[in-house]
Amino acid sequence: MIVPLEHILLLDGLLFFLGMGGLLAWRANLIMMLVCIEVMLNAVMLAFVGGSARWGSADGQLFAIFIMALTSAEVSLALAMVVYLHRRRKTVDTDQFSEMKG
Amino acid sequence: MEQTLFYILAGVAVIGTILAITEKHPVHAILYLVTSLFSIAVIFYLLMAPLVAAFEVILYAGAIMVLFLFVIMMLDLGHPEKGVSPHWREWLPALALVGVSAACLAIVIVARHGSTASPAAASLPIREVARHLFQDHGLAVELISLQLLFALVGALYLGRQK
Amino acid sequence: MKLYLAFILLLPLMGGIFNALLGRTLPRRVGEVVACGVIWSAFACAVLAFAGFNGPVRVEFGSWLAAFEFQAPIALYLDQLSLSLTLMITFVCGLIHLYSVGYMQDDPAHARYFALLNIFVFAMLVLVLAENLPLLYLGWEGVGFCSYALIGFWYTEEQNATAGRKAFITTRIGDTAFGIAIVWMYQLSGSVSITHLNTMGTLIPAAVVTTLGLLLLAGASGKSAQLPLSVWLPDAMAGPTPVSAQIHAATMVTAGVYLLARMFPLIGGSGTVRAAIALTGGITAFYAATCACCQRDLKRILAYSTISQIGYMVLGVGAGALTGAAFHLLTHAFFKALLFLGAGCAITALHHRQDIFRMGGLRAKLPAVYWPFLAGALCLAGFPLTGGFFSKDAILAGVAAQGGPLYGGLLLLGLITAFLTSFYTFRMVFVVFHGEQKNPLPPGGGGLGRGGSDNSAANILHPPPHPLPSREGEHLELPKIMTLALVPLALLGLCGGMLNLPSYLGHQGILDGFLGSIPGFGGGEKASQGGEIVLQIVAAILSLTGLGLAWFRYTGSRRAEALAREEAGLPGAGFLLNGWRLDNLYGALIINPFKYVARFFWKQGDEAGIDGALDGLARFIARLGGLPAGWCTGRVATSLFGLAGGVCVVLAYLVWVTLP
Repeated sequence: MIVPLEHILLLDGLLFFLGMGGLLAWRANLIMMLVCIEVMLNAVMLAFVGGSARWGSADGQLFAIFIMALTSAEVSLALAMVVYLHRRRKTVDTDQFSEMKG
Repeated sequence: MEQTLFYILAGVAVIGTILAITEKHPVHAILYLVTSLFSIAVIFYLLMAPLVAAFEVILYAGAIMVLFLFVIMMLDLGHPEKGVSPHWREWLPALALVGVSAACLAIVIVARHGSTASPAAASLPIREVARHLFQDHGLAVELISLQLLFALVGALYLGRQK
Repeated sequence: MKLYLAFILLLPLMGGIFNALLGRTLPRRVGEVVACGVIWSAFACAVLAFAGFNGPVRVEFGSWLAAFEFQAPIALYLDQLSLSLTLMITFVCGLIHLYSVGYMQDDPAHARYFALLNIFVFAMLVLVLAENLPLLYLGWEGVGFCSYALIGFWYTEEQNATAGRKAFITTRIGDTAFGIAIVWMYQLSGSVSITHLNTMGTLIPAAVVTTLGLLLLAGASGKSAQLPLSVWLPDAMAGPTPVSAQIHAATMVTAGVYLLARMFPLIGGSGTVRAAIALTGGITAFYAATCACCQRDLKRILAYSTISQIGYMVLGVGAGALTGAAFHLLTHAFFKALLFLGAGCAITALHHRQDIFRMGGLRAKLPAVYWPFLAGALCLAGFPLTGGFFSKDAILAGVAAQGGPLYGGLLLLGLITAFLTSFYTFRMVFVVFHGEQKNPLPPGGGGLGRGGSDNSAANILHPPPHPLPSREGEHLELPKIMTLALVPLALLGLCGGMLNLPSYLGHQGILDGFLGSIPGFGGGEKASQGGEIVLQIVAAILSLTGLGLAWFRYTGSRRAEALAREEAGLPGAGFLLNGWRLDNLYGALIINPFKYVARFFWKQGDEAGIDGALDGLARFIARLGGLPAGWCTGRVATSLFGLAGGVCVVLAYLVWVTLP
């Protein structure tokens, strides 16, 4: 273990909340929101891999791989949706899509 | 040596991420993010997870980011370089929430573990990882593959031209 | 006897129910025949009962109210007083029913009218014949209800309905006092039987007897329109004229006098109560007589005269001259019914106009009405040797016999009232029947010329919404039955004196002998014969003076001048016209404060307090609900902020549990 686990956790916490901050701020651009989500998922992967290294277990790495697969499914679907929405409204501003208002 | 490399890479990842999320041009943002992802891939390698590191480079930095670039270019967003980044008034609540959360998390991490170095665990060969994957998590693999299939069908349906 | 009594009560009730249920579906004539038939049959039963009468009887038909110790059976008590009243009621009401057939011949609601009239007779008979107080109270309330319904008979006019409500509410004040008295008497003696209670007088403390007497007096004041509860009777003239004759002259309003006379053995033991009764009666008689002098609505004059005459009766009861009071009650029933029916004829003939200043010269046009009306007026005025003369004199003699400054003053007041009575009676007669008719009916028909002097909206009652042909200046043909019904009443009124001739004529009066055996009636000191003769001479002189004054003022050349002056408004006339402004006084003293308080509770208590609290609570809850509803924008960003906030909270909680 090259560094204490806490440092890795602090790093991925920092990355995760950077991603979350961007997600909250970038309401005007759906693509940038997706980018931020990628950042957050990455941070989570980092946490899993760090844990795997700390305890010498393969499960952490496996979950990182699952997350990656999930991310690729998510991104492909999400980007398809972005294309679809942009085709309909000519915009990627999420505030423009509020039909689900209760 | 490895420790120093880790901190340098961590710095690169954080800076790259910050630049990525503050950049108003989506293509630039993707490129910053790719930088950040590369450094994280190296961190994975340093953490004795070469398989994940390789997938990170191939899948994330390669496939997913290229997909982003494709979509950005396909969408014809006008002049992306004239796009507006979020106003500071939009950043403020986000930063406030995120700052509090991050501070809390840091407090929890530090208070629970202290910053003592952990004993090194034995590295895991790829063969071992693969055996775990298909022996212990076979159902998960199947579910993930189904999920990918659904995503494929969904993306095809959504992207269909009328 | 039991059978007779049952028939006397049940026949009017059956008639009323029959008319109420079937009257509308059957031909009009059937309803009229049934309504009149039952009353006359009841009269026949009363005559048979009279023939077979040989002493007071108590008849019990069954149990009515019975709970623990409390017993109020359906028991009737027939003694001389209730028998004579029953005879009078059935006879007068029978005539009025016949008269109503003519009077109401154009009214579409005849079934309701006759049903109410019959039920009224039933309730009045229950009141008179009841042996115990709850049953009496049943009849008491029954006549109150029928009176309310009949005053507001033409309820489509707001004013009539208001008059009905006013009568109902005003009498209700007295009824409440009466109800309290009944309950109290039961609590004291454990019985509600009238005959039993009348023997209890000596066993109950004097102060309690006084209070009970005052409560009963209040009840009687409400029903008999005595001061201070007299205000409803003038307005009650809004009803059809036969109703005024039956309810507000002959029968119902005398119920208070009957009650006081009936309970006299109990309450008469208290000098205070006797004085209060006498004072109420005397002042009311004077008050109403002054008011009657200035009225210009024919029926209101008669209404005030009714109040005044009942005041005499109450005065008689207070003075202990119960026989005199009962005597006056009977003669008054005859001549006042006669006057009202006569007035009804005149009003019908004049297209339901009631303003006497617009009448005149009816003597030639309606001789069949004039002569009976004149007979009634003579009785009312106490013209010598008429029935009213003797009965009024019997009361005054009773008052004179009491002596003392109080009764002396009341005697003086009574004599002044006698003079005023004579004056306003003949003012009415001369203005209506003599001279020439002034100002023929204005175009449009039915409109009442209103003088400038009065400001009370109720002073001249509006004509009922009758489908009358409005023929200018032409008098209606009166139905024969209306004028014929006047004749027996006129004869009875004029000859009513025969019932009880003064004892100085040699032998005891019939009524004196008949009623004398009832407890309480024998009492009361007898005036000396000489004094009584003097009193009668004085009363006769006063009556003739009043007649002469009216003759002087309202006939011949001075008539036009006097009428014009009165129409312009004499000084003080407005005060008398509005009944000493009692309505305004009550309005200022009771109604307006009550309205103010009610309004306060409505606005401040109900609307601002209760409604406001509830509305405020509802608004607060709605606003509370609006807070999270505001988050439901449908935007992705909002949901994400929620998510981030949740993360923040979870982490803060972790910090909370982690830190020592």
